[in-house]
Amino acid sequence: MQKYSVLSLIKNAFSSHKDWEVAWKDQDPKKEYDVVIIGGGGHGLATAYYLAKEHKITNIAVIEKGWIGGGNIGRNTTIIRSNYMHDENALFYEKGMELWRSMSQDLNFNIMFSPRGIINLAHSDAQMNAYARRGNSMKLNGIDAVLLNREEVKNKVPILDFSDNVRFPIFGGLMQPSAGTARHDAVAWGYARQADSMGVDIVQHCEVTGFDISNGKIKGIKTSRGDIKAKKVGLCVAGSTSILADMLNMTLPIETHLLQACVSEPIKPLLDHVVTFGAGHFYCSQSDKGEMVMGGDLDGYNSYAQRGNLPTLQHVLTEGIAMFPFLSKLKMLRTWGGIMDMSMDGSPIIDKTHIQGLYLNCGWCYGGFKATPASGFTFAHTIAQDKVHELNAGFRLDRFSTGHLIDEKGLGTKTWIS
Amino acid sequence: MTQSFRLDNTGLINKNKKISFKFNGKNYFGYEGDTLASALIANGVHLVGRSFKYHRPRGFFGAGVDEPYAIVQLSRNGETDPNVRATEQELFEGLEAKSVNCWPSVNFDIGAINNFLNIFFPAGFYYKTFMWPKSFWYKIYEPFIRKAAGFGSASTKHDKEKYEHKYEYCDLLIAGSGPSGLASAYAAAKNGARVILAEDKPRYGGSLLTSDVSIGNQSGKDWADNIITELKGMENVIVKNRSQIFGYYDHNMLVMSERITDHLPKSDKHTPKQRMWYIRAKQVVISSGSIERPIVFGNNDTPGVVLASAAKEYMKVYGVLVGKKPVIFTNNDSAYETAIEFKKNNINPVVLDSRKNPQSEIIKEALSLGIEIKFSHVVVAAKGYKKVKSCDIAMISDNKENLIDISNIKCDCICVSGFWTPTIHLASQSGSKTKFIEDIDAFVPDKSKQKEITLGSANGVFTLDETLKTSFQKGYELSKEITNQDNKLQSPQVSEKQQSKHDKFWCVPLPNGKNYKRFLDFQNDVAVSDIELALREGYRSIEHVKRYTTLGMATDQGKTSNLNGLQLVSNIENKVVPAVGHTTFRPPYTPVTIGAIVGREIGKHSKPTRKSPMHSWHEKNNAVFVDAGVWLRPRYYKKGNEGLFEASKREAENVRKNVGVCDVTTLGKIDVKGKDSAEFLNRVYTNAWLKLPVGKARYGVMLREDGVVMDDGTTTRISENHYHMTTTTAQAANVLSHLEYYLQIVWPELDVNVVSSTEQWAGAAIAGPKSRDLLQKIFPDIDVSNDALPFMGFLEANLFGVKARIFRISFSGELAYEVNVESDNGNFMWEKIIENGKDFNLQPYGTEALSTLRIEMGHVAGSELDGRTIPYDTGLDGLVSKKKDFIGKRSLLRKAFNETDRQRIVGVVPLDKKTSIPEGSHLVNDPKAKMPILKLGHISASCWSVEHNNPFSLAILKDGKNMIGSKLYAMSPLKNKTIPVEIVSSHYVDPKGERVRS
Amino acid sequence: MLYIKCPYCGYRSQNEFAYGGDATVKRPELNKEVTDKEWDNFVYLRKSPRGKHLELWHHVSGCRQWIKVLRDTNTHEIFNTYKSEDKVET
Repeated sequence: MQKYSVLSLIKNAFSSHKDWEVAWKDQDPKKEYDVVIIGGGGHGLATAYYLAKEHKITNIAVIEKGWIGGGNIGRNTTIIRSNYMHDENALFYEKGMELWRSMSQDLNFNIMFSPRGIINLAHSDAQMNAYARRGNSMKLNGIDAVLLNREEVKNKVPILDFSDNVRFPIFGGLMQPSAGTARHDAVAWGYARQADSMGVDIVQHCEVTGFDISNGKIKGIKTSRGDIKAKKVGLCVAGSTSILADMLNMTLPIETHLLQACVSEPIKPLLDHVVTFGAGHFYCSQSDKGEMVMGGDLDGYNSYAQRGNLPTLQHVLTEGIAMFPFLSKLKMLRTWGGIMDMSMDGSPIIDKTHIQGLYLNCGWCYGGFKATPASGFTFAHTIAQDKVHELNAGFRLDRFSTGHLIDEKGLGTKTWIS
Repeated sequence: MTQSFRLDNTGLINKNKKISFKFNGKNYFGYEGDTLASALIANGVHLVGRSFKYHRPRGFFGAGVDEPYAIVQLSRNGETDPNVRATEQELFEGLEAKSVNCWPSVNFDIGAINNFLNIFFPAGFYYKTFMWPKSFWYKIYEPFIRKAAGFGSASTKHDKEKYEHKYEYCDLLIAGSGPSGLASAYAAAKNGARVILAEDKPRYGGSLLTSDVSIGNQSGKDWADNIITELKGMENVIVKNRSQIFGYYDHNMLVMSERITDHLPKSDKHTPKQRMWYIRAKQVVISSGSIERPIVFGNNDTPGVVLASAAKEYMKVYGVLVGKKPVIFTNNDSAYETAIEFKKNNINPVVLDSRKNPQSEIIKEALSLGIEIKFSHVVVAAKGYKKVKSCDIAMISDNKENLIDISNIKCDCICVSGFWTPTIHLASQSGSKTKFIEDIDAFVPDKSKQKEITLGSANGVFTLDETLKTSFQKGYELSKEITNQDNKLQSPQVSEKQQSKHDKFWCVPLPNGKNYKRFLDFQNDVAVSDIELALREGYRSIEHVKRYTTLGMATDQGKTSNLNGLQLVSNIENKVVPAVGHTTFRPPYTPVTIGAIVGREIGKHSKPTRKSPMHSWHEKNNAVFVDAGVWLRPRYYKKGNEGLFEASKREAENVRKNVGVCDVTTLGKIDVKGKDSAEFLNRVYTNAWLKLPVGKARYGVMLREDGVVMDDGTTTRISENHYHMTTTTAQAANVLSHLEYYLQIVWPELDVNVVSSTEQWAGAAIAGPKSRDLLQKIFPDIDVSNDALPFMGFLEANLFGVKARIFRISFSGELAYEVNVESDNGNFMWEKIIENGKDFNLQPYGTEALSTLRIEMGHVAGSELDGRTIPYDTGLDGLVSKKKDFIGKRSLLRKAFNETDRQRIVGVVPLDKKTSIPEGSHLVNDPKAKMPILKLGHISASCWSVEHNNPFSLAILKDGKNMIGSKLYAMSPLKNKTIPVEIVSSHYVDPKGERVRS
Repeated sequence: MLYIKCPYCGYRSQNEFAYGGDATVKRPELNKEVTDKEWDNFVYLRKSPRGKHLELWHHVSGCRQWIKVLRDTNTHEIFNTYKSEDKVET
């Protein structure tokens, strides 16, 4: 594999960039693999990469029905954080932070991890207390957290609305300084390139149509490009999990919902952190291109349509202006939607299933992007070792039956309420 | 100053009205009806900005919404607007604009060094470098890149402009007032349909404004003017200019942004800047026309390279010449209209036509006018840096692969036409698939997904005759279905020139040895070589190409670049264009002001504010308010220099010692009526309700089906089949929906009705040892003794002539009552209580004292009932009936809910009896343990116990039941605090509950 | 924005309604022995189909009736709406 560096860039410039190799090969599926990963999104590609790197399993196919990175890895607002209250989440996402920090170097692909800090704003004492509970929990888990008062927030983000003309004044906020953003597409491409170089087959435009199961064991999958035998199969298809589960006669504690986001036209740098609005559902950061990247609510009803409706965006932008009045003059440039697996307690599932050799990775709710490396890392372990890693031990499928829920928000089973 | 590029005898602008304006600090003038672009061109200004990546000089490319270049920072009315398209901004007196993305000036831009180094910055170069050393990306490279990015600058001030929303319904919504829009609108309106016709530009007529056609016995423009005048006079028609339909949403909801004062120096006080229309249409006619696409050639981004149609529009609409020595480069007939228009204005153009030997009426006309035409010729490259000075041209071989005889000709502009791309955005947003039409090398809408139809050039129909015929017919048919009227108009006779076929040619090959940049996306600097690189590197899906190269992601969203990008991918990949596919069209069609999307819900009005009927009394009496959801509640009543702590302590102490009164109006209240009400409550609450007598209240807990506590409150049996339920302030709406769900969906056989009565009642809680005395004073006529009105009793009574309800319930643990009167009498009640309470040292108390009282009582509230706790955790398991079934009961059997060391509520007291424990602290065994430190529980609420005069907290603690008496540490690392504590009972005051019954 | 025909009020825009989830989920009867599996089916497990979905909507800013809506989760097309007591074949 060609190494990417400033030197290779200069060298190639003098040959008019004609000598660059493909980042990954677009493979035809073989008849049989040791492991088939369904879903060429961030999690699927990361899983293949860690299977190859950590577990030396390389006879792998990543099967993607469209083009790789076309799902939520390419449709999110690029936020990376581990500011969780519950230990199961906090320790898992903190492992992710560790992997994010060295990802550009590990993958030799600049994924532009930018630890610019995330600030969750609080608008009441009760909210400050809830954040204190979360922040203290983070600190006791070894995660960085700072509780900011109003003045401290103002120093960091002076363009927030500190005037008297606000409905919910800012009381303070919880900051995770090491949180940040990354270039989402690059993550998928970087994992794909390295996985490919280690022998993983990346198969695009190949849709799964069924499973071959006998005696409770997975034997392979059926696809639009023929049957593929596999000793083990991992599902990494957030947003479409319920469709594949239906082929497996499984019903899962998840629903599929649409989450929208939008960007403004690019403007000169104004916002150096990721900021979330505590009195509503809005988050915002400024991309390296200068666009304000904004997101918030679900559309609020089951949806597989990667197209959203305006009321949700209107609602999100209303909260945006409540927080950042300057947004009013900007123009909304682009909107898009991604379909999410919303789990019944807001936390993901990474587990074995009742079918031997079939593994499940789903239920990422809003949080799939930041989970990419930790999800790949632990899912690879779960598949390779046929047992859960200690970091995903809490994300089991049966926790709903047993009552070992991991409910960060305390909203219960109405997954569409955010 | 003279306008050397202004024509005397042409244009639709008002030459009688001069308008002065400023660009980059220099004064200019234009005329009423100009855009900023046309006025600058008239003044010979072509350099307006710099491109995103290479900072190459940028001029004007189009004349409207498709403009990729001319983006400026605009000052208006003392405010600054970033990223305004000069081709859309109408000129107004005093307009000030300046170039963006350049420093120190547009003329001399340091960033242009990128252009000379561009070989090192191909598509996606940043993915391959800036990785070493590790921390440098965030610390050095990224800030540098960020600073260079972005166009305009946002004002950091509040937006003083107003924006508003409007909701409208119609039979036919018509997007675009070109020939197809006018014809269908006219036909439908005449057939009785309610029509809304929306035009993005200030002038109606679309292509009729600039094309040389006649309809009936009028010119196209006159016909359009007359139709518009007539439509405007019809009651069933709304005609709107400066109005862009930018989004086609589900169930035929379309959204239109109307620019009301953007073209004026300022908005008057009562006029919004923009208005957002939400239009639900029975049928939609998409008559959005088409956008000319360029042919790609070397240095085709040089200022002075413009679309041929834009050059024509500048002449015919604005009376402005984009140049005096034009080269017209085309692969089709439409650019000949531009050539002829130049000629008519005594300018001699040279036409380069990539076609070998095209024959048509208009070419004949051009030849007969003496216009120089070179067939089989192309522009190889534009020459000049900040403005076109000449161009290299060549003959092109029949297979379009070889350039023959390259020569240079002088010119000051190059008007390019690569044929027309239908504007299918709205149809595509509607959900309709698209189909590729080989004949026009473009996509048009396939079968309609919603109730919409696409007409005219938006549908790939480029002859006026067919467009008008179809549009008249469809306007009639669609309206007939809705109105059932049958008034059909005849389509008028049309005279237009027949066109010959365009050439499937869109990109000029590079001459040997030359490495010209040939741009596809002008704003984002995406060149042919970038797409080639992306494909070479395996980014082959059109979405990968877009994301890797940023093609079509600029503020023009690829209106002039996307199709050429597809052609290129199709050529290299050896696939037909439809197999390459296109990226998704999503709203908005063109960027929309965020303020307009939001409308009036800003500042204090971003959410409603709810106030109790006693609010003004609280205000007058120095209440400091706190947000409780959307309600405002008094947090404490400030006396002298008191702060929160002193005031709330004083108020709470007074409740424990004397009597206090608290406004509890915000509590949710639900009337439950019907003969099965008792049975219903018995299913909703965890405890037993069948035997509650009339005139008695009971405390109840309700669960979600997953076993988690949803809400608590008291419910009182007012009469045989009538109950008054209270909920927490926060959960009021959810509880009502929850009850309605069970009554309507799960147990429809129950004869019960529920309705919210929160707004009907004002409530005052009177609490403290002297509360009975006070109550007796304000209700002198009734017996309020412990026998007559025992704990959990209820009476209806008369409060100085006003109907009142008295509930003997307590949240504070003291002897207490809650008095309710109808909301209108709330203030009256409150003042009577205050007035009569003087004798008993009554003080009002706010939510902070209320919290103190409930915490030291161990009474759970929102911070314990946080959506994660079950009855056991909060000590409410005594209220869980073992005998009957209820909502959520089955979930309580789950394993984790029955673990013997399950978390449970406890009290926490600091060992030193002095140090308050911050809320949100965690309880640990060993504060010095290695990370991650094992957490046993958390502090849910803290107060200064007025009873014991020391800090007291509630906590949810693992195995709390067996931890009473243990010594632990409360840790708040956020505040660097580690406090040794003792675990005690959560009932810190009156554990036997004697006071409430006294 | 969806346009939902309330069986009681007629066509109303989506913003008058609150969503209520899968309408095919049936609560087990009261006072009946229920297996873990049956209970999980009711509380947590959802088919979440792509395509036709019978779902509940609550006309909160209207008549406050819970209604059933048969909608395509992929296209948002609404095929029909029903009163809560109507039996619906899906």
